[in-house]
Amino acid sequence: MKIAIWGQELTAWVAAGTLAHAGNDVRIVNDSTVQDPILRMGTNILNEPGLKDLICDEFAKGRLQFTTSGGATQFDIHMLCMNPSEFDAAKQIVSKLGKFTQNKLLIINQSLFGVGCTDELQGLLKKENNQIAAFLTENIAEGEALNNMRHPKAITLGCDNPWANMMIESLLRPFTRQLDQMLIMSTREAEFAKMATTGMLALRIGYINELANLAEQLDVNIDVIRQSMGADPRIGHHYLSPGCGFGGNSFSQSIKGLADLLSEKRNSQLLDTVLRENEKQKEQCFRKLWRHYKADISGLQIAVWGASFKPGSSSLDGAPSLKVIEAIIAQGATVRIHDPEALDNIERLYGGHPQVITCKDKYEALANTDALLILTEWDEYWSPDYEALLEQMHQPVIVDGRNVLSRDLLESLGFTYYGIGR
Amino acid sequence: MSVTKTSAWKALEEHAATMRHVHLKELFQQDPNRFQTYSMRNEQLLLDFSKQRITPETQSLLKTLADTCQLDTWKSRLLSGDAINTSENRPALHTALRQPQGSELLLDGHNIVDDVQANLAHMNDIVNRIHSGQWRGYSGLPIDTIVNIGVGGSDLGPYMSCRALSDAQLASGKKLNVHFVSSMDGSQIADLLDTLLPTSTLFILSSKSFTTIDTLSNANTAREWLRNASGASDDILNRRHFIGVSANASKMTEWGIPENSQLNFWDWTGGRYSMWSAIGLPIALRIGMSRFKEMLAGAHAMDEHFRTAPFETNLPTQLGMIGVWNINFLDIHAHAILPYDGRLSHLPAYLEQLEMESDGKSVSRQGKEVDYRTCPIIWGEVGPNAQHAFYQLLHQGTESVMCDFIAPARRYHDTDNADLQQQHTLTLANCLAQSRILALGDSVLENNESAPVHMRYRGNQPSTTVLMDELTPFSFGQLISLYEHKTFVQSVIWDINPFDQWGVELGKKMATNLLKPLMKETDGADLDGSSKGLLDTIHALQEVNA
Repeated sequence: MKIAIWGQELTAWVAAGTLAHAGNDVRIVNDSTVQDPILRMGTNILNEPGLKDLICDEFAKGRLQFTTSGGATQFDIHMLCMNPSEFDAAKQIVSKLGKFTQNKLLIINQSLFGVGCTDELQGLLKKENNQIAAFLTENIAEGEALNNMRHPKAITLGCDNPWANMMIESLLRPFTRQLDQMLIMSTREAEFAKMATTGMLALRIGYINELANLAEQLDVNIDVIRQSMGADPRIGHHYLSPGCGFGGNSFSQSIKGLADLLSEKRNSQLLDTVLRENEKQKEQCFRKLWRHYKADISGLQIAVWGASFKPGSSSLDGAPSLKVIEAIIAQGATVRIHDPEALDNIERLYGGHPQVITCKDKYEALANTDALLILTEWDEYWSPDYEALLEQMHQPVIVDGRNVLSRDLLESLGFTYYGIGR
Repeated sequence: MSVTKTSAWKALEEHAATMRHVHLKELFQQDPNRFQTYSMRNEQLLLDFSKQRITPETQSLLKTLADTCQLDTWKSRLLSGDAINTSENRPALHTALRQPQGSELLLDGHNIVDDVQANLAHMNDIVNRIHSGQWRGYSGLPIDTIVNIGVGGSDLGPYMSCRALSDAQLASGKKLNVHFVSSMDGSQIADLLDTLLPTSTLFILSSKSFTTIDTLSNANTAREWLRNASGASDDILNRRHFIGVSANASKMTEWGIPENSQLNFWDWTGGRYSMWSAIGLPIALRIGMSRFKEMLAGAHAMDEHFRTAPFETNLPTQLGMIGVWNINFLDIHAHAILPYDGRLSHLPAYLEQLEMESDGKSVSRQGKEVDYRTCPIIWGEVGPNAQHAFYQLLHQGTESVMCDFIAPARRYHDTDNADLQQQHTLTLANCLAQSRILALGDSVLENNESAPVHMRYRGNQPSTTVLMDELTPFSFGQLISLYEHKTFVQSVIWDINPFDQWGVELGKKMATNLLKPLMKETDGADLDGSSKGLLDTIHALQEVNA
């Protein structure tokens, strides 16, 4: 099939690569003068495991190419993989496509503009001519995007047109052999379901973080509590790890969209509260450091391990590290940062700042420091060389924002240890 | 020699003898262009004196009086930093607080503008840290609530200004809640603390002497509240939850405020003239430092106007001299301040202190009892509300009252809220209607004379209208500076020192003396009969409840 893909989000590149690999003739719409796919992808997307190779490969084979927005009008299948803030642009695109042809047209919208937005796009098309806008839920997580796309567990599709359903099902056939469930519903329901899922995850994280903060005050270990909770089949273990807050652009934006709807239509502050508390939680590690040093950290050297908002990504979008770095330097301390992927992004923000030092080696980041803050649970932080830590650090104080280390072990080695909820 | 013995004074008395029988409606009939003659503007303020009972002759006689009293000399002594507060042997240099960076005002050979600017820089640093969420409390959470503890000049100015400039808030300033606590009985602070979070609340302790009992007792209550909530040491609490503003650094240190949380002002800044100094910190926190500086610039513009404009068009001079005319020659002894803008609701209380504490005196600079009236009773209220309260007396009572109507011409013009714009139009209509009736009485109506006598309005109550282009930090700075200088002008004519306040001292001392008999440590036998009777009754009532 011939498919045109609109948008610059991670989803766009993942869909382009995998669909081309499955034999489709795929065009990424690109009106800019940058015609090198690698330059066009941007750092965060380039760092997605496996993606760069796949894209280069498909470009080399010619199954994947760029086209202009004018050229894209020749296609009858379009995917919108755009940022939630780009709804106006999406409307312009769809309106233009609908005006250009009287023939069949399939718009597969993967962008979460809000509940009812795909219906609005449909309104710009001639439904009677089988010009259809459908909503296909994207279920990819940064760091595992290709795998998520190739082996989905369930697919939610918002579409009530038999021809469009047939087309989308065929398009997804290469990836749906092990599919547990293909759910088909109205576009509004599919959009709502996507938001509802994200909101539920946020609530779980918000809830376990609240419990962790309470556990600290009651001198209870949250690890034990969450194991017990997770053992209950009604609850399960997913998204029950307390930590120093969640980040990520699409996750946060989608929650914000639902939070705004709840607030506007229902006067409900439920998700607003979760988001607000999450912002506070991002500074939790700083506050532990602050209290350890009796509300004065000026002149200290603080090591930070992990800057990206989650492991496997170089993205700093909404990352707790940003708030922690700001807080530390505002108090007159120096921060020494290690991250396996995100140091370039840190350099872009703080390059040349006298209080922000980036370190390619995680032990180098510890040199002469008064505390280590762990903010992202990269694999390499789970079992560090403790001797090296003790040797490098000026004060053996560890604030573990992701609960990756063992409190008992660290204390037996002479560290002062602070976790989240334990 | 008393000013009443001067020929200038006597000439005004003679002139007043005829003017007393002239009605404002006649003056307007004689000269329909009074507005053109008697209104004057500086920057964003226009003052309309045409509804004052004055003629060109009045103005010329007032000028002779001002010259006789050497107003120009006094003005330059004030602005150049002469120690004209003679009873306390110091200058009154609130104007230096708003002098721009790079200018010079030498006091004992030292440029105090440098000190002022250094202090503003320190304020700027504090404001930025709080606005950016990086001033943190004992737990590490950012401060988002400010409680200003102060009384008198350390309270009224910032309190009034924060309300007046509520529309000028910055996005970052919007997150801050700013509260004011002044009363010594503890009820205000106790109610407030119930609603606040200790982790994110910062207290500003404002006191020129840092010995004011009202402020220190509230401050101690605040610290105890933090202690109980946090379990943190006093050292941490003092560093993270208190800022001191005072002219007495050592007393701040003694209380526990660390040096870098201390903001200073100087003994040449009077309490009721201090909102331009670090005492204005709550204002800067509410509206941001750049807006605070706009307010200073507005005040400075008025200072320059006061210094340079000729008598005839000098706004503060005219406001002051026409006040003298009303008080001393037309026998008007009540003055109402009537803002037609809810944001200026605390302005009357502010001006009550400014004028009555400055000019409410009866001993001349020569130490003689004066034989003329000085500051009148000043009171006021937001105009539209006062219309339902004391305007009855203004229109039909037996007292002559002079009024200041204060209103912004533009409001809500940058919103698209037509309802609010309509409300502003209605407010202006009321402002103009009231000053018109007060001046002209029911002559503004046809067939007014056929009305029953209890429905008649005699008019002839003089008023000044202060029209602001709009209420901005700049125009607000101009407005307050205008009244400061007006107060000074009148003090010169009355030959009194407007910068001391000995009349409030004895009360403080007596209150301290009464603590012992109230706590039954002494029997109070030396008290007068009334006080003794009240004391005994209080003791009896307290015993019943115990």
